[in-house]
Amino acid sequence: MPSLFSFQAPRRPFRTRLGNPPPCACEAPATPLREGTPGRRARPLLDRFDWRGLVLPLALFALWWLVSALRLVKSGLLVSPADVAHTAWQQIESGALLRALSASLAREASGFVIGTAGGLLLGSALGLSRIAARAIGPTFDTFKQISLFAWIPLISVWFGLGDMAKVVFLSLAALLPVAAHTCDGIHAVPRRYVEVAHALRYSRLQLIRHVILPAALPTIFTGLYLGLIYSWLATLGAEYLLVAGSGIGNTLIDGSEQFRMDLVLFGVIVVGLTGWTLNALARGIERRVMASRGEGRERAAARNGAARRYQAVHQREANT
Amino acid sequence: MAKQALSLLKSTLLATALAFTVPQAHADKPAVIRVGIAQQGVGDPPTFGGSPAATVQQLQLLEKEFAADGIKVEWVFFKGAGPAVNEAIADKSLDFAFQGDLPSVLGRANGLKTRILLESGVRVGVKFAVPPDSPVQNVKDLKGRRVSIFRGTNLQLVADNVLAANQLDERDLRVINLDSASSLAALSSKGIDASVNDYHLYKLRDQGLARIIYESQTAGPQFTRQSHLLVLDDFDRAHPDIVQRVVNVFVKGAQWSSDEANRDALFGLWAKSGVSYASWQAEFANQSLKSRNSPLIDPFIVARYKAVANDALKLKLIRQPVDVDGWFEPRYLDNALHSLALDRYWTRYDAQGNPLG
Amino acid sequence: MSKAIGEWSPAAGHAVARTAGETKAKVRARSTSNLQRHARALAWHLAPWLLPAALFALWSIGCERGWIAPQILPPPRMVFDTLCDLARSGDLAHHTFVSLQRVLLGFGAGTLAGLLIGAALGLSRTVESYVLPGFNALVQIPVLGWLPFLLLLVGVGEPLKYILIAHAALVPVTLSTMQGFRQTPAALDEVARVFGYGHWQRIAYVVLPAAVPTLATGVRLALTKAWLALVVVELVASSEGLGYLIVYGRQLFQLDLVMASVVIVGAIGFAINRLLDALEARLRRGQPSAFRE
Repeated sequence: MPSLFSFQAPRRPFRTRLGNPPPCACEAPATPLREGTPGRRARPLLDRFDWRGLVLPLALFALWWLVSALRLVKSGLLVSPADVAHTAWQQIESGALLRALSASLAREASGFVIGTAGGLLLGSALGLSRIAARAIGPTFDTFKQISLFAWIPLISVWFGLGDMAKVVFLSLAALLPVAAHTCDGIHAVPRRYVEVAHALRYSRLQLIRHVILPAALPTIFTGLYLGLIYSWLATLGAEYLLVAGSGIGNTLIDGSEQFRMDLVLFGVIVVGLTGWTLNALARGIERRVMASRGEGRERAAARNGAARRYQAVHQREANT
Repeated sequence: MAKQALSLLKSTLLATALAFTVPQAHADKPAVIRVGIAQQGVGDPPTFGGSPAATVQQLQLLEKEFAADGIKVEWVFFKGAGPAVNEAIADKSLDFAFQGDLPSVLGRANGLKTRILLESGVRVGVKFAVPPDSPVQNVKDLKGRRVSIFRGTNLQLVADNVLAANQLDERDLRVINLDSASSLAALSSKGIDASVNDYHLYKLRDQGLARIIYESQTAGPQFTRQSHLLVLDDFDRAHPDIVQRVVNVFVKGAQWSSDEANRDALFGLWAKSGVSYASWQAEFANQSLKSRNSPLIDPFIVARYKAVANDALKLKLIRQPVDVDGWFEPRYLDNALHSLALDRYWTRYDAQGNPLG
Repeated sequence: MSKAIGEWSPAAGHAVARTAGETKAKVRARSTSNLQRHARALAWHLAPWLLPAALFALWSIGCERGWIAPQILPPPRMVFDTLCDLARSGDLAHHTFVSLQRVLLGFGAGTLAGLLIGAALGLSRTVESYVLPGFNALVQIPVLGWLPFLLLLVGVGEPLKYILIAHAALVPVTLSTMQGFRQTPAALDEVARVFGYGHWQRIAYVVLPAAVPTLATGVRLALTKAWLALVVVELVASSEGLGYLIVYGRQLFQLDLVMASVVIVGAIGFAINRLLDALEARLRRGQPSAFRE
């Protein structure tokens, strides 16, 4: 006859720990969404770093060096790593890199700020007001689906050929994801929170500030990431397609027009590094804000299962 | 912060809306004269070469002329060439423009209100170039190949005429629209089979990266293209005196550029724009400076512009006919020639391109 | 009440209300609120069309009154005529076909490669530790950053477009596939262990079905990005396609052609999204809902 205690996990003695039931494997998260969960003691860097990740890149780099040193491929395009390093040093020294990068980032910053502000407003309106969602929502949805760069020729004609056109385009690029995610985040707030707030007789302002905003914050942050990423993408695109000025995209296109692979490779590396820095910056700020509000992402996520899956996927989107 | 950003956005939108609707404020003197150049400027500050307008810009003749009045001169370069200048004209962000015949016709067909003041660079041809090891020997061999033509510039129509003379059509080729610099890069890297371009090709030829298979300037009037200086109607009505002075400066520049004694100095000056002395020598090898840099609006020019308008209509580049007759405004030019005693300096040509009188 | 429900009439309603003790005024108030309710329902249905109609009206009036130069904003009539011209001359079909062909082939290739790489990354920790860091580094460079590099490498032909579009599709698919394969709920895994599933059975019956929603989102994102990349690359260097039409219109200063092409691009983007919506709904219908809120 099965014992009363046959439901326990085997190998674990049935001993209560001051009223806590023994932990069950099904309560553990499937995989941590990121390393370094709060509370874990940090292991020393050498121990933590996975050296296997460097194998492939180093191998490719060595191959490149070999091919260019031995001149195995006869093409004006084959530049050696030394050439790229030399060009990089030239660009940094002459201040060209600083000029180009600061111009691009300044444009992106202004576009991002304007777009985010507009996006937050629009998204809040769409999320909080049913009437606005019904009247503006479908149009916004349709508008969102028109490929962003198709607007460039029209924007350049309507807003002239100076910086204004670029900033308008960048604002648009940032506004769309921010508004969409803000609206989705507000809509994804579970009904029971709102019901509790009504039961406690929260005013509308209190409802927004204490219930909706905190619950929607992770999704809104995802929207901000995407806004940052898309506006960086749009910065590059605008520099290719809208008339010049200086910028890192112009450096890239000039390199390809002057048939200089070393300049192009240098530009590509700078673009990648900048993208990564922006990403890391945004993630750092988010971590700071979420930590200051006293909840780890895992705990908030566990409470908000659907929102968690949603934001996890879009987290990946932000990395692409 | 959101509030400030919102108000910034509002004022930006308002400014944009106003810029479209409110006409330019009329002042006794403009604070700045904006001249658009339908070329991608090279260097920092940007500059260009190849025409009397370039001479005026390089020698800073306009700046010197208006320095005493405290009027600044702004030269605006356009990577998108003629078509981009049209956009700026529609936007009213220019006062004068140096532009080719076809783009101006396209602009006029779409309702831009301008006046042609004088010519600046006439009887210019186009060149077809291929990679050095290409099997293409002449224009007929280009059938089915990838050719880059900068659409909407005055290169396009001459290229179309050259193709027509070889019983070809744009549809028989795979035409890619690339601007000058991209087209040169694509040719060097053999990304395209042929490029229709201008004097920039000489540099590639000298480097062994391209072979020129056809040059069109001596083959007949319909194989030449012209460029001119035009003024926007609004500016013309507001400041006719300024327009006259600008025309005077350009005629002086044209005269300096037409003097054979200055040939050396001229090519040296234009070489500052990145196109070498040798290239300019090759470009002007079979033509006198006077014939290329003449500012006259003579029957040849009028006939050429009418032909361009007709051809553009035939090729469906424009949708309604363009009236060329009311477009030229030669009185400023006549005044300038008279006051500088240059009435007989340049030869006038008839509609077929033969010298008159 | 001797009347059956189906034979209810306003008069009977009044009678009932009166017998129930309500005043005449209240009864009238209730039936006008019926009208209000109908009006509100109508407004609800029409509301989405309000904004587009207002914009369209603004556009037409602005062009008629000359608020904006017609070269900069052509009137709706002109854009419509141009669209009809394009359709009639067969140009529209030709260019749309070329663009769609490019995007579908590039997207297909990129998605396939992405699924394979993502599966490898997701299923094997070894592969992940060797490949993922390098992949993450490459991912930091956006699609447009590769454009000049590829321009130099492969020139302005078809390969440029296919490579760029495939790359644009590959990245999101790889990342979401990897994530989908890694995020099998532990409970399902436990059940598989209890049932004694082998390695491949586990992958086929547990990991794969659980990964489908994430995969679907990734594929969806990939198609959007592929379409975006297509438009950009056609704007930069192309001899046919919708982006080429946009450039052609711009060079010839025919803004109506540009707007018509933008409308087509938008319509296709819209259609793609709707199609994916329907497909996703179809797929999700077969999903167990135990682990979804």
